[in-house]
Amino acid sequence: MSAALWLCIRLPRLAQEALAASVQQAADAAASIASRAVDAAAIEHAAMERLAAWAYQWSSLVSYQLPDGPLLWLELAASRSLFGGHAALLANIESELSQLGYSHACALAPSPAAAALLTQAGQQRCVTTPVELRSRLEPLPLALLALSDEVLAALHSAGLRRIGQLLELPAAAIARRFGPAVSLYLQRLCGTASDPRPAWRMPATYSARFEFDAEVHDTTALLFPLRRLLLEFQGYLRGRDCAVLRFTLAFEHYRQPASGVTIGMSAPARDAAQFLLLARERLQSLVLPAAVSALRLQALEFTAASVLQADFFGGDAQQLQQLQLLLDRLQARLGDGQVRSLRQQADHRPERGWRFATPQQSTARPDVQAALRPCTLLPQPRRIEAPALLLSGPERIESGWWDGGDVTRDYYVARAADGARLWVFQDLAAGGWYLQGLWT
Amino acid sequence: MSSIPVPTGSQRAQLLEQLARLCRNGEPNRASRLATSSGFPELDANLPGGGWPVGAIAELMSDASGIGELSLLVPVLSRLARAGRYVAWIAPPYLPYGPGLAQRGLPLERLLLIQTRSLQESLWATEQALRCPAIGAVLGWPAYIVDRSVRRLQLAAEAGGSLGILYRPPEAARESSPAALRLRLHAAPEGLAVEIQKSRGGACGLTLQVGVAATVAA
Repeated sequence: MSAALWLCIRLPRLAQEALAASVQQAADAAASIASRAVDAAAIEHAAMERLAAWAYQWSSLVSYQLPDGPLLWLELAASRSLFGGHAALLANIESELSQLGYSHACALAPSPAAAALLTQAGQQRCVTTPVELRSRLEPLPLALLALSDEVLAALHSAGLRRIGQLLELPAAAIARRFGPAVSLYLQRLCGTASDPRPAWRMPATYSARFEFDAEVHDTTALLFPLRRLLLEFQGYLRGRDCAVLRFTLAFEHYRQPASGVTIGMSAPARDAAQFLLLARERLQSLVLPAAVSALRLQALEFTAASVLQADFFGGDAQQLQQLQLLLDRLQARLGDGQVRSLRQQADHRPERGWRFATPQQSTARPDVQAALRPCTLLPQPRRIEAPALLLSGPERIESGWWDGGDVTRDYYVARAADGARLWVFQDLAAGGWYLQGLWT
Repeated sequence: MSSIPVPTGSQRAQLLEQLARLCRNGEPNRASRLATSSGFPELDANLPGGGWPVGAIAELMSDASGIGELSLLVPVLSRLARAGRYVAWIAPPYLPYGPGLAQRGLPLERLLLIQTRSLQESLWATEQALRCPAIGAVLGWPAYIVDRSVRRLQLAAEAGGSLGILYRPPEAARESSPAALRLRLHAAPEGLAVEIQKSRGGACGLTLQVGVAATVAA
């Protein structure tokens, strides 16, 4: 217990702000909640589940409580040295919370109860030792204690005003006079009694849902909530120390089955900015089948994060990452299969001497000895009149008797009237002349 | 990036530089513009910096298809690709033939063939590719392009340090364009006749005979 350190985040307007992402205005959201048009408890719970996954990147012990809060705790003792000290870590966490759009108050203390209390105690919210904690708590008013109003009133009528006065009383006397729960709470507050918290368990797959209080018709309106979902997703991936090759965005509609898109990457990634870029490209060309009532982000498969550290190896790997980013963007906007490479294939028939290939696939180079070939080919050989001017040739190509696609052709370079150099052949089996390539 | 070729003869270089300053005529100082050898000495000698402009757009306006308009680029594309950079072809009007390109020294795995469904998509993809530092050269065939788009692509090429090539119809030669280099290509009995219509910081109006037919892989 003594080495433990707890960060508590109080989120006073969690439900409104979670909803505000869709209606853009906290006031509207508050009105929606007040009019019970939406289920505030469900929204709060969903938002907290996403935040717990996000918080997992800094702590392997995350816990939360919705009543009297909402409060989110991160146990930090084991990980604090990893992040360059408490101040840097707190600044980092607070900045991400602001990006997510949540009002928050953070405090750090040796016990979860004290950390929760200090989120409401004004300045100086970080204490790291029990001795420091005691002197920090002593001058604070009793009203900050997480005790019922009846207990607080009883303490007040007993002439107690400050927490320090209460802590001077013997624990047994407090238990006798105000109840054992009060005594236990005070011991937990000071870190002298253990205070086990239900540890939030990271689900094996990721699924985050975001409900809109009004239907969304336009894909651009999805971007704001999506940005938040992706930031939280990034936190989850960091917490699990893993990355993804793809994730799915599902759009729920009223009285209609959900639609969705899968965003794929050519290399494992966990960068929210990259995800958002790809999602934006994809959404731009997406036509929604109906208005969207909720948005869900799902990832089922994860890969080890070690592959992400390629940038340590310098220039080549960095260039590779830039290329992958480009390929992913092109594919997201233009569609799968629109970005390809070429490879050679060992076949003497010119039209079978090549294949489309997946970019970045290293290819073997078959050793096909042949005369110089043109740089461009027609999709299909085109029947032409016998050319008037032959510049060179013939080159005899006989091949394919083994697979039924046998050819016997004499190839020439011909010149057209406009000066173009053509790659033509005479079909010796069936007769006739064909244009197959251009010496571009 | 490959190194800048050293001009042959310092006097000649000085002369070119003087000429370049005159041509620039108050334009922001871009004297140190990079260029990369085209692989054709007769062409390099007449282009500022000694080759294709790096980080800029060059327009090629060919009288016909099949006169060597692509062979003119194959040496520089091969060199960029062998140096580890990628070469992006955005919606080419014909199929790049792998065996032919490989014979000329272009490693096919460095070639990216990007299909699009509209001019707008083509311009977008061209810009994205130009901005990416992993890409050495981008080839585009826009059926139609306005000055504003060319300027946009020029900025993208500058940001990515890449070579941007736009193949444009011969009629485009009648209009002006903000591209750094504009060449008209005519069929010639031995190779290709290259007419320098516009060359930022270089001489214009020349027509050069370039031996593209001789570009056989070693």
